[in-house]
Amino acid sequence: MDPFFLIGVIVCAVSAVLCIGAGVLRRPPNDITILSIAAVELLLLAYTVGAVIRQLAGEPVLGEAWEFWGYLLTALLVPVGAFWWAILEKTRWSNFVLGAAGLTVFVMLFRMEQIWDGVAGL
Amino acid sequence: MSRSEHGAVPAAPAPEGAGRASGPGRLLIAVYGVFALAATARAAFQIATKFDQAPLAYLLSAFAAVVYVVATVSLARPGARAYRVSVVAVTTELVGVIAVGLLSVLDAQAFPSETVWSAFGRGYGFVPLLLPVLGLLWLRRNRPARA
Repeated sequence: MDPFFLIGVIVCAVSAVLCIGAGVLRRPPNDITILSIAAVELLLLAYTVGAVIRQLAGEPVLGEAWEFWGYLLTALLVPVGAFWWAILEKTRWSNFVLGAAGLTVFVMLFRMEQIWDGVAGL
Repeated sequence: MSRSEHGAVPAAPAPEGAGRASGPGRLLIAVYGVFALAATARAAFQIATKFDQAPLAYLLSAFAAVVYVVATVSLARPGARAYRVSVVAVTTELVGVIAVGLLSVLDAQAFPSETVWSAFGRGYGFVPLLLPVLGLLWLRRNRPARA
């Protein structure tokens, strides 16, 4: 199992649970939820670097490479967009927005893993 | 009845129609945005790589993408005009997901389960079916002052 993928889905899941939990507790976004979404973005950056190195080192994407990179570049924008949208109005709902971003990246990581392994789909 | 958001006094009365992009509306718009992004990317991919395999389904994919983009933008914008546009977009989305859902179950050939709305959005955890219902309820609660 790909460690980048494993660590990625764990970071996303933890971030989503923290953010949704904070929303349920009626808290506005705070350091914890904002840092958790920052961790998702950092993770994605590390994943990107890792993917470049692995592909250059001769570990090709078995599915469509450009589809993989399309997902990855889009995923990189999701936490940034969610952060911007969330801090424009800081209420408990901002935390749900951040949680939704974590879940979205979580799903996208799954799809990227499928493409890398050449599992058909879409 | 008004259970105000405790503590802080709201700075100023919200401009007309701004309530749509406030509170729960922010989450709704964020989810719409994700679907706009996903549907657009998927439709572009399908049309670019394998349009002749199922033209009807992929054209519907593109149509769904447009509906999501219009819904996202119109929900986020204030004003009565944007309100009307969002009602039309969200209603179209509801009709679309139900119609395509039914067709995809009845005629699986024309709809390989690959569009956002196939099988009532099963591939996306049925969120596409839930979203327009929540959207219409939200719009009903946030009608502009003058009808």
